[in-house]
Amino acid sequence: MTNHWIDLKNSDAIFIIGCNPAENHPISFKWIEKAMDDGGKLIVADPRYTRSASKADIYAQLRPGTDIAFLGGMINYALQNNMIHEEYVREYTNAAFIINEKFNFQDGLFCSFDDQEKSYDLKSWAYENDAAGNPKRDMSMKDPRCVYQLLKKHYSRYDADMVCSITGTKKEDFLKVAKTFCATGRADKAGTILYAMGITQSTHGTQNVRAVAMLQMLLGNIGIAGGGVNALRGESNVQGSTDYGLLFNSLPGYLKLPEFANTDFKAYIEKYTPKTKDAKSANWWGNTPKYITSLLKAWYGDNATPENDFCYNYLPKWSSNYSYSKIIERMGKGEVEGLVCMGMNPAMGGPDSNSARGALDKLKWLVTVDLWQTETSIFWKRPGVNPKDIHTEVFMLPAASSVEKEGSISNSGRWAQWRYKAVEPVGESKSDLWIINQFFKRVQALYTKDKGVFPEPITKLAWNYGDGHEPDVHLVAKEINGYFTKDTTIVDKDKTLEFKKGDQVPMFKYLQADGSTTSGCWIYCGSYTKEGNQMARRDASDPTGLGLFPKWSWCWPLNRRIIYNRASVTPDGAPFNPKRPVIAWDALEKKWKGDVPDGPWPPMKDAKEGKYPFIMLAEGHGRLYALDMKDGPFPEHYEPMESPARNQLSKVQNNPLVKIPANISSDLVKFPLIGTTYRMTEHWQTGGMTRSLPWLVELVPDMFVEISESLAKQKGIKKGDKVKVTTERGAIEAVALVTSRLKPFNVDGKSVEQVGMPWHFGYSGLAKGDSANLLTPTVGCANTNIPEFKAFLCNIEKGGTKA
Amino acid sequence: MSGGHIDFNKTKSFLIDTTKCTGCRGCQVACKQWNQLKAEKTVFFSGEGYQNPPAMSEYTFTRIKFRDYQKHGQNEFAFYKEMCMHCNEPACASVCPVGAFKKTAEGPVVYDEKRCIGCRFCMVACPFGIPKYEWSKAFPLVRKCTGCYSRVKEGLQPACATACPTAITYGNRADMLQEAERRIKSRPDRYFQAIYGKEEAGGTSVLYLTHQPLDELGFKQVTKRPLPSYTWQALRLVPGIFLGVGGTLSAITWFQHRKERIRREEEFKNSRVKPEQKEEDQ
Amino acid sequence: MTAAKLVINEIKGYHRFIQLMIALTGVGALAALARFIFGLGVTTNLNDTYPWGLWISFDVVTSVPLAAGAFTIGVVAHVFHIKKLEPLVRPAIITGFLGYSLVCIGLLLDLGQPQRGINVLLYWNVHSPMFEVSMCIMAYTTVLTLEFLHPVAERFGWHLPLRLLRTLEIPFAILAAMISTLHQSTLGTFFLIAVDKLHNLWYNPLLPLQFWLSSIFTGLSIVIFEASLVHKYMGQPDESDLLATLTKIIPWVMGVYIAVKAYALAFLSHGPLFDRPVLLALFLVEMVIGVFVPFCMYLTNRIRTDKKLQLRAASFVLFGLVLNRFNVSMFGMEQAGQQIYVPSVIESLVTMGIISAHILFFVLIAKYFPIFEHHPEATDYTIPDHFRKLEKGSEGLKAAHEA
Ligand SMILES: Nc1nc2c(c(=O)[nH]1)N[C@H]1C(S)=C(S)[C@@H](COP(=O)(O)OP(=O)(O)OC[C@H]3O[C@@H](n4cnc5c(=O)[nH]c(N)nc54)[C@H](O)[C@@H]3O)O[C@H]1N2
Ligand SMILES: Nc1nc2c(c(=O)[nH]1)N[C@H]1C(S)=C(S)[C@@H](COP(=O)(O)OP(=O)(O)OC[C@H]3O[C@@H](n4cnc5c(=O)[nH]c(N)nc54)[C@H](O)[C@@H]3O)O[C@H]1N2
Ligand code: SF4
Ligand code: SF4
Ligand code: SF4
Ligand code: SF4
Ligand code: SF4
Ligand SMILES: [Mo]
Repeated sequence: MTNHWIDLKNSDAIFIIGCNPAENHPISFKWIEKAMDDGGKLIVADPRYTRSASKADIYAQLRPGTDIAFLGGMINYALQNNMIHEEYVREYTNAAFIINEKFNFQDGLFCSFDDQEKSYDLKSWAYENDAAGNPKRDMSMKDPRCVYQLLKKHYSRYDADMVCSITGTKKEDFLKVAKTFCATGRADKAGTILYAMGITQSTHGTQNVRAVAMLQMLLGNIGIAGGGVNALRGESNVQGSTDYGLLFNSLPGYLKLPEFANTDFKAYIEKYTPKTKDAKSANWWGNTPKYITSLLKAWYGDNATPENDFCYNYLPKWSSNYSYSKIIERMGKGEVEGLVCMGMNPAMGGPDSNSARGALDKLKWLVTVDLWQTETSIFWKRPGVNPKDIHTEVFMLPAASSVEKEGSISNSGRWAQWRYKAVEPVGESKSDLWIINQFFKRVQALYTKDKGVFPEPITKLAWNYGDGHEPDVHLVAKEINGYFTKDTTIVDKDKTLEFKKGDQVPMFKYLQADGSTTSGCWIYCGSYTKEGNQMARRDASDPTGLGLFPKWSWCWPLNRRIIYNRASVTPDGAPFNPKRPVIAWDALEKKWKGDVPDGPWPPMKDAKEGKYPFIMLAEGHGRLYALDMKDGPFPEHYEPMESPARNQLSKVQNNPLVKIPANISSDLVKFPLIGTTYRMTEHWQTGGMTRSLPWLVELVPDMFVEISESLAKQKGIKKGDKVKVTTERGAIEAVALVTSRLKPFNVDGKSVEQVGMPWHFGYSGLAKGDSANLLTPTVGCANTNIPEFKAFLCNIEKGGTKA
Repeated sequence: MSGGHIDFNKTKSFLIDTTKCTGCRGCQVACKQWNQLKAEKTVFFSGEGYQNPPAMSEYTFTRIKFRDYQKHGQNEFAFYKEMCMHCNEPACASVCPVGAFKKTAEGPVVYDEKRCIGCRFCMVACPFGIPKYEWSKAFPLVRKCTGCYSRVKEGLQPACATACPTAITYGNRADMLQEAERRIKSRPDRYFQAIYGKEEAGGTSVLYLTHQPLDELGFKQVTKRPLPSYTWQALRLVPGIFLGVGGTLSAITWFQHRKERIRREEEFKNSRVKPEQKEEDQ
Repeated sequence: MTAAKLVINEIKGYHRFIQLMIALTGVGALAALARFIFGLGVTTNLNDTYPWGLWISFDVVTSVPLAAGAFTIGVVAHVFHIKKLEPLVRPAIITGFLGYSLVCIGLLLDLGQPQRGINVLLYWNVHSPMFEVSMCIMAYTTVLTLEFLHPVAERFGWHLPLRLLRTLEIPFAILAAMISTLHQSTLGTFFLIAVDKLHNLWYNPLLPLQFWLSSIFTGLSIVIFEASLVHKYMGQPDESDLLATLTKIIPWVMGVYIAVKAYALAFLSHGPLFDRPVLLALFLVEMVIGVFVPFCMYLTNRIRTDKKLQLRAASFVLFGLVLNRFNVSMFGMEQAGQQIYVPSVIESLVTMGIISAHILFFVLIAKYFPIFEHHPEATDYTIPDHFRKLEKGSEGLKAAHEA
């Protein structure tokens, strides 16, 4: 989230697209309701009429996988009707930037597409630079090659009729949504967009998110209170996981994991430290050397010296795609010997689970670290296999649950909240930290004893979390924050600061590239300082009245509650909306008031020191036109991999960057219906956490599918009937819930039905049922590989699989 | 019955705004957890939407009812929390022969299971069908929402109210009423213009606001008069009737027997037979 | 010979019908036992929608007015001092005594916590109709027990108690009427709380009055019913002349009842009356067959004096009453669209057992105690040491005088 949960209350219009917060983030509604009490409008766009939709002022039904069409239509609506926040767009986004001449877009493809490699040459989309090396701009935004004009042209094709013909939305509903939300394009209005898996789980998921961001930039909604691009993160600490480098190609703090070729530290730094010639651009990533060095110092301690490039060579370098699907693919080929599943249930969670389950058969050993017995830990006795045929050795380690251990959890709003241990772990279960600590110590002992090909990355690690039975989680937190490795003097403007060796670094501004500081995750620098554990703060004061609660827990970066907040003020530093000022420049005191600003510099207009608001980008401006997206600078509508319709906007049916895998079928005779999967309040994910709890099983005891009344009639299905759902990948049995909340879509003049299903059921636990992921396709987003769980083709018949 | 005089303005009350209820059922589960109630065995859904279990019971003190229908071509997906209304003048308490139910000054209508003889009159009497019976047991007791009295007494809010992200506000009845009035007045498009529980059954400690008309959501239409008054109008006559009947019958007896005696005396005068024997005959 | 054998031999000598009653009572007792072992939930079809079923509707709500003969005839005989009706008093008291004892048993079966029944005496709630009824039933059962001691004392020749009881006869009759008035009517008050549940055909504030009035004419009718049957099947003396007197009283009460009911329906109901066809039919059956028909019958002199037709009219009244009490306590409480309650086998067996026990004990008491023989004018209570039955009615009386 650019903003945070409580900030939702400041919105004039809340646009929920591709998520269902009433069901999946119930507490969010506390703040959504608050906004509505103050006159805010709630808009929901979802294929189904959900519990969130039931609270909305406006509901628009849209076909799974067509969000770009919908959002593109809104962008077009805002542009055509002059509803954008013009000053914001001109000053703070790259709307005025001129794009090089090579760029063009034709027939659904951007320039420089390599049909063989299925890739674009990103350089062909670059800005046109002036003599000084800075991008050229036309502040009147009239130049036909400026982003604004290109944008306008691109989305002019997304008129309401076209949009609705693609999305299946009723035109009046679409227009209502567009009109209501685009009304927040005024300086004194704030609109927020909430999204999650309905947006991301798509072969063009990242472009969906971009479309959200672009709309928000056009409306001047980023950086302001009640605005923002707000991803409702999923698993309780998934924000923390991503911050600490969850993805295979990233290191903690969103630093890049070196690629195979980056064997040299200096070359690595050179490559991943963006540069700018524009003095007004803060270009924060310019600090990359400080952060990567501090990270290496945190990991290798005294072993990391300038001479040995701070042990840079010990870092793994990635050579190919290690995303979840690829790992499973390799496992299926027998290329993976052992697997540790720590709080994950791959027999259930990934697409085409049958193949994942089959892949587990090929393992020599499997370790599951979980609160429960899961489908993964009993994969060898799943329905349809003979345990005798499976030779995998399985170790089940019982893990302590979140209330049985101390530590931090980072929520969607980037708040790191410290939690205390409430009860002793049940039975023999241990905290994950304890388990990892044991793992490490034993592996390290083995490497020390037996050496091996390349033992140093393990043997040289600095691993000092106390000698107690349980590693000291505070030492971990302090290491993450970082400390000085020697006595240091820092001159910060007019102040001179003295630090002793071992002092906690107060903020990431003071991290150094010379090895004098450590930081396990630079964005968390400041979370555990001399003043103590900032994450454990519980002061409920709210001086601004905006719900920032600056002294409640701690929020990265630097306790800044709303990021890009420099965009909430005019170039002079006056809040766009004086009624809800996030920050405001006090010209007398020469300082910012309100939230922690995005950098200490004076307002942008200040000739000497002023800076652009989007400090994480080299050009300092929000990107309406992207430079580094694999699949195009503007989001373009393509159909999902399995689609019931042809692409009405161009001849390119699917995202051209995504290879079509084997088990995909667009045979509309066999599979005429749209299948989609989702969550519901009563169950959690793959169900381990909830299908074993009788109170929750009582609420939703069976795997079910939701279908429309018309489809039910057509198939002779009644509520409560057993049905069978099939796709190219498999078949499942479920109970039919016939409801008017699901309706067919009118796509390209034809009616298309949908089958909705939760994916919480499996063969372990108290309540069992078929898993929806037996049906889903293994195909993912061009940029992130996230699987397309939300739109595929299927069929439904009366009678179960056993019938 | 209520112990002494209770100021109903100050009794703690629930304001349940169903327009803000997301049907998350956190309240339903929180109630089970706080009261350590057994889960019910359910199959599929037993009602509209995702509704479960089929009814409130000895194991379920509160439940979200789902409505899933269409009106003028628009979907309605509505949720409402069923629970004891904690009536100001509870029918359950008034009919209980042993006074096992009691309206507390804090608000909750509480149950003293040590008194209960298990006659189930409370179940018959409750206009909202709240008290449930332990049908599974050989010597059953009555079960219903306790209003989380043990929490409320200690200054906490009920478990369900604490769990609810959006819809439940808890506080003094007068304040809750005021807040409810404010809401329906300030957003007439959002609210059906009625506060269920304000006057129902003579006023309750659970107040509801809805968007849909009450009957569409399945709210029971209930008399506005306190229910105990219906029986009391008859029962209050008891002493009078008791003495009245006694007095009347005594008078009639005296009169009838006097008639008889007079008749006898006449007879005696006329016949002049031995008087002692006549007397003995009586 | 053991006592058990004696008993068995004695039973062997009974009529087949009585043996059947013993068997049914035994089955009922077993069924009652099952209720305590397995619980109400398993053994009955009661549930949260139907917390009260057959046992409350019949064993309590209906049995009580059916046992009203005792107080009504007591009032008629003692208070209004219609002495010739005194022979009807004792059987009525026995019926009442048995009736109320069995009501108590029925209630105990139905209670979830019968062992705590005493709590009613410990924790008073004067606002509860149930409290009132419980107190009344306890008090009244005591009175009835004392009254029942009358033939017992007579049978065993206990003089002092007998005298005491005789002196208290009139106060007891009055007390019985006072108590009965209260609880007979309060059974109606029970349902006044069910404002939005009991259908308007029956719900009105005068329900307690209606219950009381109907218990009076039912009480008198049951006396007729019983005496006729006893005469027919147990060879007891024909009391139809005495009964004819009662039949003159009944229509008065019924008339008032009809008037009250009509008034209440016309002016005091607060909702639609004709919205539920089945309930309307039940109401009409109850009113026509159970009230209007016997009312007219009792008004006709020929019927009043005809043994057979007396019985028939009384039967109609009883039918009407039973239906009325079921209408109020069960059928009329059913909400539209609600699933329908049918008593379980065990519930039915228990109720059958209770009815059988009633008949059985009545017959046995009549067999071993001076119940029907009791024509006070024909008993000599004058001699302190022993009393004896005098020869035939007033002739006997004369003989006593002469002695
Ligand atoms: N109770 C509960 N809460 C949870 C979870 C849980 O399992 N249970 N999981 C957590 C996790 S890990 C996550 S990631 C989040 C996910 O939270 P959400 O994203 O809210 O979860 P979903 O239900 O998968 O998808 C949201 C909605 O997207 C709609 N949808 C499907 N396809 C499309 C589409 O193409 N476009 C649009 N606009 N909408 C579409 C679905 O109908 C659904 O209502 O929830 C978290 N919260
Ligand atoms: N069809 C379909 N499939 C989907 C999705 C979808 O929308 N549709 N959504 C996807 C999404 S967004 C996600 S996030 C994934 C989730 O997929 P998974 O992460 O595989 O699923 P979870 O059930 O969340 O697994 C988490 C496990 O961690 C255990 N656990 C809980 N707390 C702890 C702890 O403290 N320590 C340890 N060691 N274990 C713990 C739980 O018991 C549980 O078994 O599924 C994806 N799969
Ligand atoms: S489940 Fe937990 S994290 Fe999710 S909304 Fe509820 S309280 Fe928040
Ligand atoms: S709702 Fe029913 S159980 Fe609750 S206090 Fe009122 S009468 Fe009693
Ligand atoms: S069942 Fe218990 S609480 Fe209910 S009325 Fe009877 S004694 Fe009172
Ligand atoms: S007040 Fe307490 S007992 Fe009543 S519903 Fe809420 S949680 Fe359950
Ligand atoms: S917890 Fe609140 S919002 Fe959730 S179902 Fe209950 S009343 Fe509704
Ligand atoms: Mo997720």
